[in-house]
Amino acid sequence: MGIPIESSPPPGWEREGIDGLLGLFPPGRLSEVVGSRSSGASSLLLALIARITTAGGQVAFVDATDSLDPDSAAAAGADLSALLWVRCGGRLRVALGAADLLARCPGFALVVLDLDDLGPVPASTCIRLQRAVEDTDTILILRVARHREGSPASLVLTTRRLGPQWMGLRPLTRLAGLRSEIAITRVRISTLSSPGRGQGEGHWAVEWSLQDVPSGAGCAGDRRGA
Amino acid sequence: MSRIGCLLPEAPSLPPPGALLQVALAHSPRVEEASTCVYLDAAGLEGLFGDEPTLAERLRAAALAEGFSIRVGVAGSRLAALVAARLGAGVAIVEPDGDAAALAPAPLSLLPISEELATRLERWGLRTMGELAALPTTGLFERAGAEGVRAQRLARGDDPRPLSAWRPGPVFEESVECEWGLEALGPLMERLGAMAERLCARLAARGLAADGFEWTCRLADGRAHEGALTPAVPLTESGAVTALLRLALEGRPPRGIVRAIVLRVRPTRAAAAQESFTDPSRPSPRFLEATMNRLVALVGPDRVGAPTLLDSHRPDAVGLGAYAPLSLRRGTSAPPRRGSTSPHRGEGRVRGPVLALRRFRPPAPAAVTVASGRPVALRSSRLGGRIVAGVGPWRVSGEWWTPHPWLQDEWDVELADGTLCRLAHDGSAWLLAGVYD
Repeated sequence: MGIPIESSPPPGWEREGIDGLLGLFPPGRLSEVVGSRSSGASSLLLALIARITTAGGQVAFVDATDSLDPDSAAAAGADLSALLWVRCGGRLRVALGAADLLARCPGFALVVLDLDDLGPVPASTCIRLQRAVEDTDTILILRVARHREGSPASLVLTTRRLGPQWMGLRPLTRLAGLRSEIAITRVRISTLSSPGRGQGEGHWAVEWSLQDVPSGAGCAGDRRGA
Repeated sequence: MSRIGCLLPEAPSLPPPGALLQVALAHSPRVEEASTCVYLDAAGLEGLFGDEPTLAERLRAAALAEGFSIRVGVAGSRLAALVAARLGAGVAIVEPDGDAAALAPAPLSLLPISEELATRLERWGLRTMGELAALPTTGLFERAGAEGVRAQRLARGDDPRPLSAWRPGPVFEESVECEWGLEALGPLMERLGAMAERLCARLAARGLAADGFEWTCRLADGRAHEGALTPAVPLTESGAVTALLRLALEGRPPRGIVRAIVLRVRPTRAAAAQESFTDPSRPSPRFLEATMNRLVALVGPDRVGAPTLLDSHRPDAVGLGAYAPLSLRRGTSAPPRRGSTSPHRGEGRVRGPVLALRRFRPPAPAAVTVASGRPVALRSSRLGGRIVAGVGPWRVSGEWWTPHPWLQDEWDVELADGTLCRLAHDGSAWLLAGVYD
């Protein structure tokens, strides 16, 4: 009698997709998404924006470095008309001011302050932002490249790059996506726990696939080699 | 017996807004304003202006004196008066009880009926109101319902609806005299806040909202400081109005001592909207308006809005449209934005995890070492290193039919530190377009 063989995830990895992960962000609290370049942090934010906007919620995105790609957001499923995009042109103080204004405007389901490697953000500013959304239904997310000690974030998710996924053997033919690991590194809410795991131990392995969005080409609608 | 006069503007000298109404009001106390004409109650005016032809000529003369010409029709119903004015030569008087005969040759297109009924009557071969009036009412009701019967009554000159008399709208204006004068913005805002509160209370009592504000500050030296603002959405809350007035006056304060203030409001009918308990919350217009104004002041007017995908294949072809969350309601779709996304770049459909690109705006110049036709090393102000894997080139081009065609070759590469980025070569230089994240 043969023994069924199936690939099993490494210990500590959840396999139920990112739906459970996206539901972790607590309303009325400051959360932090930490990740270096090509770690999947931006993809995680776009997935959350798509989930909220398709449910009818409104999202404000404070883009400190003007790096949001609306094509990627649309490919992820976001309703762009429900997205307020504030481009700050690399000005940290402007971005913090804009986030403060939006956090105090009730009605947004999600306010994202995407700083990437801009910073550092004073802890007092984070506390001020945290206070602004207290007792509201707004999810406030700070996306940074490096976690700063003393942050008042109630939930900190860290994304880590596992490696790209290519299509084709050598020579490679195209980029298929990126595998990354997302881990809860801090939880300060008693009601929040990662599914099936103890607090602070949740890990997710996510495969972010590159959508075939034609970024170019009247003459080449598909990304084919020239 | 009712007698209705119809004042129909005659091309090409169309009247300015409100002028036709003023001509009618100068001759009759009961006037109804329609979309293309004005009706007046012509009954009982003989003692003032003489018989109906004299009244009609007097109306035409009054309009000519105002600088435009009109046609006048007088009949027993509105429709007959309109048809008489439209088909007659300047002045047309329909004798009492002669409406049906006057309407009989008129085309059905003059009847105020739905598109569906008009199509049905046309399929039946009906062309004139007389043909519709001659149909048996019972059979018409069985086939066209109540609307068909109503149309037939109109075609027979039987209009049961009385004139909907025009009434002047209330004036929403508050004024304050300041005996000692106001020098600082704080006391001025206190006065304006109190005036806004009274005006909003009057608006709310009539089910109206403020669609625009105008203020005039009379200064001690006799000059006047005037200003106006139009909120993005009609407002009824005095707090929001006061906040907007404060922002406007902070940006352009009066240059002198203020002796008197006049605040006028342009009213509009407040749209009634029933929110659903199951709908997600959205920003209150009151807060959003003030927040958007502050954001624009903070980051600039061209840096805030809803992203829109332009109808182009050029990389990073995006724009910023107006952010209007009020138009988003479950079950209804927002009107498509001009130059918005094409279907293949569709949005709003939840998909699996999608890899995002973080763009560099503008793309960063890069120095790329190429070996055997493939990039092997990257150096730029943003990032750099040895390229360990890469795919490409993907040639993209477009707008070759315009004076400004574009073309570039794109590469997806992995650096030695694991960073995934997109490179582009536009034929003369390498650019770092963005980083996959």
